Amino acid sequence: MDEEQLVRRVARGDRDAFDELYRRTSPWLAVRLRRRCADDDVVADVMQETYLAVWRAAAAFAGAGVGGSAVGWLWTIAARRLVDALRRRSRDARAPHAALPMPPAPPAEDEVLGTVLGDEIGAALNRLAPELRQVLQAMVLDGLTVRETAVLLGVPEGTVKTRARRARIALREALS
Amino acid sequence: MRLATFLGRRDRARKPVAVAPDHVPRAVLARYAAGAPGFGTDALWTVEAHLESCPSCRGVLAEALERYSPETASLLNLVGSRLATELPRTARMPARRRRRVARWAPPGLWAWLVMALAVVGAALGLDVAGSSRVLPSLVLLVAPVAPLIGVASLWSTGLDPAHELVVASPRAGLYMVLRRTLAVLIVVVPALTVAGLAVGASPARWLLPCLAFTAGALVLGELIGLGWAAFSLGLAWTAGVIAPSLLAARTPLLLEPASLPYWSGFTVLIGLALLLRRDAYTGLRSAPWFVR
Repeated sequence: MDEEQLVRRVARGDRDAFDELYRRTSPWLAVRLRRRCADDDVVADVMQETYLAVWRAAAAFAGAGVGGSAVGWLWTIAARRLVDALRRRSRDARAPHAALPMPPAPPAEDEVLGTVLGDEIGAALNRLAPELRQVLQAMVLDGLTVRETAVLLGVPEGTVKTRARRARIALREALS
Repeated sequence: MRLATFLGRRDRARKPVAVAPDHVPRAVLARYAAGAPGFGTDALWTVEAHLESCPSCRGVLAEALERYSPETASLLNLVGSRLATELPRTARMPARRRRRVARWAPPGLWAWLVMALAVVGAALGLDVAGSSRVLPSLVLLVAPVAPLIGVASLWSTGLDPAHELVVASPRAGLYMVLRRTLAVLIVVVPALTVAGLAVGASPARWLLPCLAFTAGALVLGELIGLGWAAFSLGLAWTAGVIAPSLLAARTPLLLEPASLPYWSGFTVLIGLALLLRRDAYTGLRSAPWFVR
């Protein structure tokens, strides 16, 4: 049984299906969230809110925006909850955001490369400045809007737009 | 957002489509799970995009957690135990079918519909039990006012906890009242038809009076409240028609086929009155029936 069927059974109130869904997807979700937020308390809260939302609103899952994938749906919820949590925290404490761990490094995983992104675009990505890459990751990989990206990275919206534009130009040049 | 969309590229054919035929090597997954730095962006993207679409790699990642990232594993246990206490307390969104039904009926309608059906059933039972005596059919006598039992509950503060929201919604007003009335009729009229056919009271004799009373309750409801309107009409019919015809043991003149033209004219008049006063159903101040 795949994740989409599990979500549909959760929609009918099947608690076992929910536990199975949690067992299958939570490790992946936790690792992915922890790579974006250094604070484990926030990650735990976001995870809890995400799965509660799944339990509450599984009946609304149509998968339209994410190509019918339940896992993509899960990530959409989690990313939005993470942005909300960061927004709340920055309002409460005005604390600086934890920087995303993304030092420029040589591509050590050449064997997985090329299968998804293609060599030229991979190399171009690695040459990008780190702050441009963060913007690109939030907007392209995580599917966030400009405003949400601004909250996630802790920079003004205008900066996000500028960086996105610079990243776009740099990638275009590298690919042409 | 897809990368090609982000870049605004049209020549997508040049770029390989984002499909990974192979799986991510275990060592890479272990480093990803451990949160190890030094991932190239391209590798990170590749891994994350692949994980989203590959259940088996997610399984491998879950196994790697125990060994390479105990903090994540303990975090998962913590969240799991918190969820176990939270889930039973969490209200759930109703399934689509129930939401669709709720668009047609206020929450308290069921009990009233059951009561209307019970009245029809009781009339049918009395008819069948007393068929040897020469009495007018009770089903026929009850039929004109049977839907009023349901109509009485359509629009009241006491039965709908969300009445303030309902009355402020764009569909509130005559449209919503008519829709709910239709829901009542859809349940009650077939039951009456079955019961009537069983005792020889065809719908031709009671359907028009039935509709006239229902519409009349709606018109009167604009003035004194739907509940009171249904109650007073029902009481008037019981006292003025049902009781005398039971005492006299004959079918009332009002339900003879000869009076049907009058009923149809009456129904048209009531319908016109309903249309003329349809604005009285919008807005809280001009809706006295919403006062308890």
